[in-house]
Amino acid sequence: MTPLQFEELYQTEWQELAGLLAKAFDGKSQDGKHAQIRGERVAALYRRACEHLALARARAYPAYLLERLEQLTSDAHQLIYQRHDFGLASLRRVITADFPRAVRAHAAYVWIATALLVVPTIVIGSLVYYKPELILSVVSAETAAQYEQMYSDSAESIGRTRTADTDWMMFGFYISHNVGIAFQCFAGGLFGGLGSIFFLLYNGAIFGAIAGYLTERGLASTFFSFVVTHGAFELTAIVLSGAAGLRLGHALLAPGRRTRVQSLVHAAKECSVIVYGLTAMLFIAAGIEAFWSSASWLPHEVKYSVAAACWIAVLGYLTFQGRRAD
Amino acid sequence: MLDSVVAAETPEGIVLELRPAGLSARFYAFLFDWLIRLVVFYAAAFVGRFLGGIGVAFWIVLFFALEWFYPVFFELGRSGATPGKRAFGLKVVMDNGLPVTPAASLTRNLLRVADFLPAAYGFAIVSMLTRSDCKRLGDLAAATLVVHQSKPAPKVVLDMVTPLAPARPLEQRDQAAVIALAARAPTLSVERLDELAALAASVSGDEGRSGPEVTRRVLGVAQWLMGRRT
Repeated sequence: MTPLQFEELYQTEWQELAGLLAKAFDGKSQDGKHAQIRGERVAALYRRACEHLALARARAYPAYLLERLEQLTSDAHQLIYQRHDFGLASLRRVITADFPRAVRAHAAYVWIATALLVVPTIVIGSLVYYKPELILSVVSAETAAQYEQMYSDSAESIGRTRTADTDWMMFGFYISHNVGIAFQCFAGGLFGGLGSIFFLLYNGAIFGAIAGYLTERGLASTFFSFVVTHGAFELTAIVLSGAAGLRLGHALLAPGRRTRVQSLVHAAKECSVIVYGLTAMLFIAAGIEAFWSSASWLPHEVKYSVAAACWIAVLGYLTFQGRRAD
Repeated sequence: MLDSVVAAETPEGIVLELRPAGLSARFYAFLFDWLIRLVVFYAAAFVGRFLGGIGVAFWIVLFFALEWFYPVFFELGRSGATPGKRAFGLKVVMDNGLPVTPAASLTRNLLRVADFLPAAYGFAIVSMLTRSDCKRLGDLAAATLVVHQSKPAPKVVLDMVTPLAPARPLEQRDQAAVIALAARAPTLSVERLDELAALAASVSGDEGRSGPEVTRRVLGVAQWLMGRRT
């Protein structure tokens, strides 16, 4: 059979398939049209086109014919095998089961990341508390003064004179700053986990230094009542991003029976659900930090009770949610 | 093989050919996207100035979203490409040729940070230059590819040539070569076409000769091989 005869014989089928595909790709924007396409007809035509492509290749038919069939089959392939995992149902599954399960599946990494964040916080924190001048080896003098002024009881301190406008501004700042840190912490895992380790230690050290310094200055109550509520979400999320990064690093360093790249792909896929979850947690944290933590007119008792509730909720969610089988 | 084609086999047993985009095409696409982001960013800054604190908040969040989620947003859209990639005919797909999944798009774009190091996308450039499939680190972890969107090849048009039976039996490879030459004919200069046709002159029984007449006869053989007899 010559190429022209071949084309003559099957072209109506190809045209029909191309028509259906065009309809499927356009129809998505307006409702109704999408439903009119008969899936089994597309599948049948697609399989036919695959056969024709295989035949055309085996017979070394001219390039334009091959490319026409390649284009047709690859478009149909995209349509038939595309995933439909966007909707609300899958979002619900991520929240009620997948995210906490993924965190528990990576418990070892989570504990290591926790240690990497908490140990420098405690060590640097107590060092600075007993020797306040050490703060200068962690942050600059201006930054230290800034923090001191921020949490002091003077009129300029957090939450006293802040307007709704500033709250919104800080909300934006917290989102971009904190999510940025978390994402860096995750991506740093690509260097054998070293980047994640560095960011965890670094952020722990800074946090410890400032906490120790402000406590020594007698500003502990302002500072802790400010950080404790959103910390439930923010610190947990940073730990989780570090844990996900460590997982990537471990997958690269010890790939087991996979190749390094396969192992990395596998780890990244498993971690992606943790990244969804921690991003959501950081958005919640930014909201709390901007609109609740900064409201210093609230009595400390209220703040600490809410903070306790948040911590219990977050840790309880990660520990118990989704344990039962679906 | 000089071609950097990545083959993806489908469950139907056919092989889809994906053509990974090289460093330069991806660099131009990146530059294009970067300019778009810059324009959006300054436009937002201009509008935000009139809105006070909420304007600033909006501006900061927009900056954050542009930095991290601009590519994710567009890659999950129908075209699977950011405006820059679309402008240069590129597209992001999974290794097996399927549309990019949300998890993969997020992964490849978050790991951009690692690609950026040590400076100016150093690791990304090294990785793309050393791999035949031109993946950066984010692509490796997400199992994605940036490919050229294929354009349909022009149809072989040889209407003004009379078909001619080949002077000797031709193997399938030879037939394919002659037809491929005919397909390329409109894009070649006349002299070059004559030169190439002279190499294939044996198919029309014109060994050792060259010129427009031989070219016409070789193209006639191509016409015959395509199935046209009159």
